Amino acid sequence: MASSNKKISKRDTGKLLNEWSQEFAVFVPSRETGVATMAKWDGKDTSFLDWHRNTVIPPKANFLPAMEEMFNFQRDKEGYHIELPPQDKHKQLIFGIRPCDAKALAILDMTFSDSYQDPYYLSKRKNAVLVGVGCTKAYDSCFCTSLGISPAESTDVDLMLTDIGDEFLIEAITEAGKKLISRSRGLAEANEADETRAKASKEAAYQKVTRQLDTDNIKQRLLANLENKDYWEKIAAKCLSCGVCTFLCPTCYCFDINDELVKQQGARFRSWDSCAFPVYTEMPMENPRVEKWRRVRQRVYHKYEFYPMSFDVTACTGCGRCIRLCPVNWDITQALNNLPAKV
Amino acid sequence: MEQKLRDGAKALLEQGKVDYIIGFEPGSLKFTTTPLITRDKDDIDRLVINPFIVNNLSAYLTELEGRVGIVAKGCDSRSIVSLIQDKQIAREDIVIIGIPCPGLIDLSKIEQLAGKDRDEVDDITREGDRVVIVVDGKKQEFPITEVLFDNCLGCDMPTPSEYDILLSESSPLVTDKTSSRKKIEGLKGTSQEERWSFWEKEFSRCIRCYACRNVCPACFCKRCFVEESEPQWISPVPQWQDNLMFQVIRNIHVAGRCTDCGECERACPVNIQLRSLAKEMYDIVDDLFQFKAGMDKEAAPLLTAYAVEEAEDFIR
Repeated sequence: MASSNKKISKRDTGKLLNEWSQEFAVFVPSRETGVATMAKWDGKDTSFLDWHRNTVIPPKANFLPAMEEMFNFQRDKEGYHIELPPQDKHKQLIFGIRPCDAKALAILDMTFSDSYQDPYYLSKRKNAVLVGVGCTKAYDSCFCTSLGISPAESTDVDLMLTDIGDEFLIEAITEAGKKLISRSRGLAEANEADETRAKASKEAAYQKVTRQLDTDNIKQRLLANLENKDYWEKIAAKCLSCGVCTFLCPTCYCFDINDELVKQQGARFRSWDSCAFPVYTEMPMENPRVEKWRRVRQRVYHKYEFYPMSFDVTACTGCGRCIRLCPVNWDITQALNNLPAKV
Repeated sequence: MEQKLRDGAKALLEQGKVDYIIGFEPGSLKFTTTPLITRDKDDIDRLVINPFIVNNLSAYLTELEGRVGIVAKGCDSRSIVSLIQDKQIAREDIVIIGIPCPGLIDLSKIEQLAGKDRDEVDDITREGDRVVIVVDGKKQEFPITEVLFDNCLGCDMPTPSEYDILLSESSPLVTDKTSSRKKIEGLKGTSQEERWSFWEKEFSRCIRCYACRNVCPACFCKRCFVEESEPQWISPVPQWQDNLMFQVIRNIHVAGRCTDCGECERACPVNIQLRSLAKEMYDIVDDLFQFKAGMDKEAAPLLTAYAVEEAEDFIR
C-alpha cells in the first residue's frame, strides 16, 4: 500500500534545493560564517544533511535579525524625509529547521501578531516556507520532550523530513507544503516500509533526549516561589549578566531601538536586547530589576509563567542553547527542577 | 588536592573567616564544571578540581560583599592581584586557595581530534603528559599539548604566587609556546588587507552579547563605555565596525590587567578569535613597559600611574 507521503534520496536533495532556489531564497544550516547558523545556500555544499542537531544561531534570526534597519531619514530645510528600506520580496525557504526552532517561531508569531502587527517580522514570516528536518541525535542540553515537543516531529513547518537512512521521508503538513510537493520534481512515492522506518527513526530520536524538566504544576510552583529571594539569589549568583541565553534563545524577542545619525542623514535600527543586562530599559526610564536575582528570575518567569498567562503556551522549546552556550553553564532545568516545594 | 580543598574551604566557613566560598562544582553537561558560589558549608563537598575548571572566578569578587575564599589557578590569582592593584578589592577580604594549574583541556580541540561533538565523546582522561580520548568505545591517545588551551600552552605562571592556602607544591603543566602563538603568528604572516578582511568576517558574527566583557575580571567598570549614550562612543547596533571598535577599546582598557586567562575567547558563543587580540596586547605591554599583569600586589597599575622621570614629555 502506498502512503500519501513522498521521499527523496539524500543524494538527490541538493537537486531539489536547486530546484527550489529558482523560486525561493534557500537557507540551510551552515558554518560558513564561523558559527552554525541558517545561511543562504551556496548551491553546492550539502554537508548539513549529515548534521543531526540544532544550530548555534536560532532561525529566529532570519525573521528577527540581530540588527535591522527600520527606516532611514534625511534632514533638510523642510525637515525630515523618511524612507522605508527596500523590502526583500524574495520568498525565503528555510531548509533544515528543527522542531524546537519551528515551534519557537510559532510562539514568536503570537507576540508579533498580537494587538500590534509587527510589519518587519510578519512580512518576512508570511513570505517564508519552513522545511523541517528531524533531529537524529540530541545534545546533552536538549530537553524538548519535556515540553511536549518531539525532536523529529513538527506541525509548525510546511514540510517535515525524517531521516530514514539514505533517504528522507517527506510529509506535507500545510496546504503550502502540499502545493510545494506537488510542483517539485524528483520525489518518489513513499511506501509502507518507508513509513515504518520513519516511525522507528522518530522514536529513536525521542529516546535520545535524556535531559528532563519537571513540568508538573510548574506554574503553581513558580508562583509559590515568586518572592523566594533566598532561592533566586543563590541560583543567580554565578550569572554573568551577559546576553548569551537571551540572544540565542529562539523565543526571546526583546529589541532595542537606536538612531544612527551622521550629519544630515541616518537610519533607525532595532537590535536584540536582553533582560539580563543591567542597563535594560534604561532608555525610557530605569531598569526595575537592579539586583541580579530579579533579572535571572525574570527570564525564567517570562518563559514559564507570564507568557503562558498571555498566550497559553510556554515560551521555551527545550532547545538547550541557553544551557550549552552559557559561559558558566547556568542551567534553567536545574533552576526549575530544584524549586522548593514549600517556601 | 580535592579533599584538601574541601577541608580547607569548610574550615574557612566554619571558623567564620569568610562569608563566601567560590570554587567549581560539576557542570550539568559532559566535561564541564560550573562556578559554585556559596555561604553554605553543606555545599562544599561538591567542590571539584579537574582539567575543565575553565572560569576565571575572580570576575565575581567585585560583586560579592564580605570576605571571600576563592579557588584560583595561576592566571586567576594574577587577576586577583590586579584587582587589588586597582583597589577594586582589598587583600584582607580575600582568602586565596591556590591550585598549581596543570593546564586546562580545550573541548573544541578535543572535538576536532575526535571528529565528534563534545557530548558524543565517551571519556577524556589525562595521564601525565598524554590524554586519552574514548570515542565509540575506541581509545585514542594524544600528547596533552594537543588539547590544552592556547593560553595554557603559553602560561608562565601556572602556580599562584599570591595565595593563603596552596593545594600542592608544583604544577605538571607542559607548555608549547609556539603552538600557543600559532593563530597570532598566522595572522601576522598575512597582509594588512588580509587581516582587515579577516577581522571584518570575525566581527560580522558578533552579536554584542558582551559575554567576553562580563567573564573578564579586568572589565570591572560599573558602567562600560559601550553603554554610555552621552556621548555615545560606540553604536549599540551590532555593525561589524562598531563591534571591532568595541573590542579594540576593551583591549586597550584591559592592557596591563589582562592575564591571558583566555576566558574572552572561550566565552564567545560565536567563536570570534578574541585571544589573538588580547594576547598580542599582553605581549605589547610586556615589550613596551616590561610589565606583566598581576605579578605584585604592591605595584602601581600600569596605565593609571606615572613617574616624574617618565620618558614622554606629555605626561609630566
